[in-house]
Amino acid sequence: MKRRTLGAALAALGLAALATAPAQAAGKKLTIALIPGLTTDAFYITMHKGAQAAADALGDTLVFQGAPEFNAVLQVPVLDAVIARHPDAILIAPTDKVQLIQPLKKAIDAGIKVITVDTFIGTGKYQTGSGDADFPLSYVASDNILGGQIAARALAKAIGDKGKVYVSNVKPGVSTTDQREEGFKEEMKNHPGITVLTTQFNDDDANKAASQLQSVLARNPDLAGVFGANLFSALGAANGVKQAGKAGAIKVAAFDAPKSIVEQLKSGLVDMAIAQHPSEIGYFGVVAAHAALTGHSIPTAIGTGFTVITKDNVDDPNVSRFLYSD
Amino acid sequence: MSTTATVAARQSSRVPLLAALAAARAWLFLIVLITVFEIWARVSFGASFVGNLFNLRSVAVFAVAPLLLAIGQTFVIISGGIDLSVGFTMGLAAIVLAHTVNLATPALGTGAGLLVGVAVAVLASMIPGVVNGLLIARLRVPPFIGTLGMYGVARGVAFLLAGGTTVPVSNAALNYIGNGQLAGFPVVVLLTVLALLVLHYLLSQSKFGQYTYAVGGNRAAAVRAGINVRSVTIRLYVLSAVCAGIGGILYTGRFSAGAAQAGEPLLLDSIAAVVIGGASLFGGSGTIVGTLIGALIVAVIQYGLVFINVEPFWQFVAVGVVIIISVLVDQSQRRLGGGRVDE
Amino acid sequence: MSEGTPLLQASGISKRFGGVHALEDVDFGLAAGEVVALAGDNGAGKSTLIKIISGVFPPDGGTLFYQGSRVAFANPQDARARGIETIYQDLALADNLDVGANVFLGREPMTRRFGLPVIDRRRMRAEAAMTLDRLDIGLDRLDRPVSALSGGQRQCVAIGRALHWNARVLIMDEPTAALGVPEQRKVIALIQSLKAHGVGIVFISHNLADIFAVADRIVVLRRGTNAGERTRAATNPDEIVRLMVG
Repeated sequence: MKRRTLGAALAALGLAALATAPAQAAGKKLTIALIPGLTTDAFYITMHKGAQAAADALGDTLVFQGAPEFNAVLQVPVLDAVIARHPDAILIAPTDKVQLIQPLKKAIDAGIKVITVDTFIGTGKYQTGSGDADFPLSYVASDNILGGQIAARALAKAIGDKGKVYVSNVKPGVSTTDQREEGFKEEMKNHPGITVLTTQFNDDDANKAASQLQSVLARNPDLAGVFGANLFSALGAANGVKQAGKAGAIKVAAFDAPKSIVEQLKSGLVDMAIAQHPSEIGYFGVVAAHAALTGHSIPTAIGTGFTVITKDNVDDPNVSRFLYSD
Repeated sequence: MSTTATVAARQSSRVPLLAALAAARAWLFLIVLITVFEIWARVSFGASFVGNLFNLRSVAVFAVAPLLLAIGQTFVIISGGIDLSVGFTMGLAAIVLAHTVNLATPALGTGAGLLVGVAVAVLASMIPGVVNGLLIARLRVPPFIGTLGMYGVARGVAFLLAGGTTVPVSNAALNYIGNGQLAGFPVVVLLTVLALLVLHYLLSQSKFGQYTYAVGGNRAAAVRAGINVRSVTIRLYVLSAVCAGIGGILYTGRFSAGAAQAGEPLLLDSIAAVVIGGASLFGGSGTIVGTLIGALIVAVIQYGLVFINVEPFWQFVAVGVVIIISVLVDQSQRRLGGGRVDE
Repeated sequence: MSEGTPLLQASGISKRFGGVHALEDVDFGLAAGEVVALAGDNGAGKSTLIKIISGVFPPDGGTLFYQGSRVAFANPQDARARGIETIYQDLALADNLDVGANVFLGREPMTRRFGLPVIDRRRMRAEAAMTLDRLDIGLDRLDRPVSALSGGQRQCVAIGRALHWNARVLIMDEPTAALGVPEQRKVIALIQSLKAHGVGIVFISHNLADIFAVADRIVVLRRGTNAGERTRAATNPDEIVRLMVG
């Protein structure tokens, strides 16, 4: 009984979709929903701005809804609510590679197009016809492995290609930060003068990250640099360097570039920040969705770039526009 | 005749010895811990752990933030309550301080700008404390639930005020508080020692401290003794919130930025410090000195494991094991029926 | 009534809960230095009567005279402030505090050390020890939490506290119920000592042996009314039981 009702409902939805198809062609406003990994983060707020800019340019309506924490249990209800409102497309930063697969299938079943931004489901390889998580149309994100490599290159250059470094990371199991660490370590293999020490996990606690830096330094007085895989890892490591009186002597590379990083760069606490381009992710996410909804084919992966920001270039408007704004 | 005498003597000496051991367990544990790290460091790479002033200073600075949350929490836990909202109260104070200092410094100058910022941040941190206190004392909301609700509210407000990002702040005086040194001691550590002394005095010497124990030991008896238990309860949660607020102020000074999530990861460490320090989660016992030792234990473990280069995953395990051991010791002591002293 | 001015006199007390008459025109008197046992089956109205005397409920009818004047207590604190104290078994003490702190709970003496006001623990212990000595309550150590004391010792501390704050009337609800025999004897001995200090005691117990051990007079309630009143010397347990069951 229940199943029949559901089937009928789906059929009705299908008819509705068919009925609206010509209307879209006739210039009906498309509705695109953006579900970030969490709402309280400058990275996603900036992504929202890029998405809004694209939506305005294309005449689409953008809906921004998400959970306050990066957590699948909190994100799925938000996703369900968005599906219930039946937008034309959903852009989502899935908070878990596996747990979001089934919930997103519901969107597909309801005739909503799905594109993932920043993070991915399954393997991140879509439209391959293999696996059960290849249904999103596209994955728009910065390549975090590449980001880690860029950070490694910049840090290696700053420390003169020799000495000890380590990664200050959040916690194991987060796809993006894991990839940054992976890329960082991979690139460092090309720098034989540099030793990469054990990674330290700080639970996103700057206080702990600071203490860890001091402990690593106490053990390795020749520590030359540290890569903070996210903001609090970097801020904490930078404070550890400062408390140890080693500012300038130990180089700090930070991944991500919220506006607050400017202060840290200028004061020399942080030596370089690797900025992703979240605004670009949002913008191209919306463009890709719009293209797909208006009958165009789109690439299954869209990689966005990075900018290395230092004290010397932070005032250059071509660089500072990549700072995440609030 | 002689047998009975021996038995009696043995019983009378055995129980106090065990009780003394249990009371001193935090101290013993800290000493054992430091000894293990010292031996390990010497054997494995020929360095000293405690003989290194840098290590001591780093551990002290590390312990500051969890300790500030923990000393206020000590009062609340002794009274039989718990305050889950301290982490975000700390974040709230951090954000309010950053904004206020940024607004006030250009107009008033560095020193006055900082003073205004600190005053506003402390006042802001009192709000969640007052609301917690009213919920728990007046509306009889269980502390776990009431402060969990406030956890959400303080978090939301802090993130709203922060606009979802960290708020950078630049004020030389604030930076001195966060990262400066006075006679070789980090200023944050000196300020925390001051807070410890004040709270130790309050808890062990004042009527308020005495009533905190009484409420936790037997609330009904406290009421019957004419103690205004509601007022004590409200003041307890305000105290806890203000300690968290001070934590937020020092955090902002250290990192030159206020962050809404500043205190969130510290909540569990701070409660662990209180429990390891000998307080019972059922209320009635605990001391500021114990909490200090508990916080040092948590800090020394985390710092020391990095120092001797233990795999990160083992670090998680170690902290968990310490908490479990500590609670087990507490419970076995309880089963022995040993009493607690209130100073 | 017994000889002397009554310390406490309740006359014609009535109390209703909804349609139920818990007490109907009950009289009760107590003189200084007298122990009056309140006997009765469950539901006879014993606890309602002591709650009226100790200020928990106001009576619906009747009058209370205390130390010669008519009184109406606003609440238990009011009654306690005037010297009518109830000793409860569980609610009496904060287990985690020592004897001195319990005796002085809510009324701690302060002193100054290094210019700061601090609780005068030494004075609390000394004065608590004096009060306990006066009542012949021997405790070896006053600096340990009362959780380390036996049930009887705790009972004694609670009574000692009441006396320290000049209680004139002590209401003791089943003071020996949870105690072992030697402990019961200790409490009974303490009651004798309180008598000697001129305190009036209302004593509720199910244990007729205890009642006959301490009471000067026995007031029996049955279904909310006075069922009879006997001096101890002029009665025996069988008669009291007959009065209780009617």
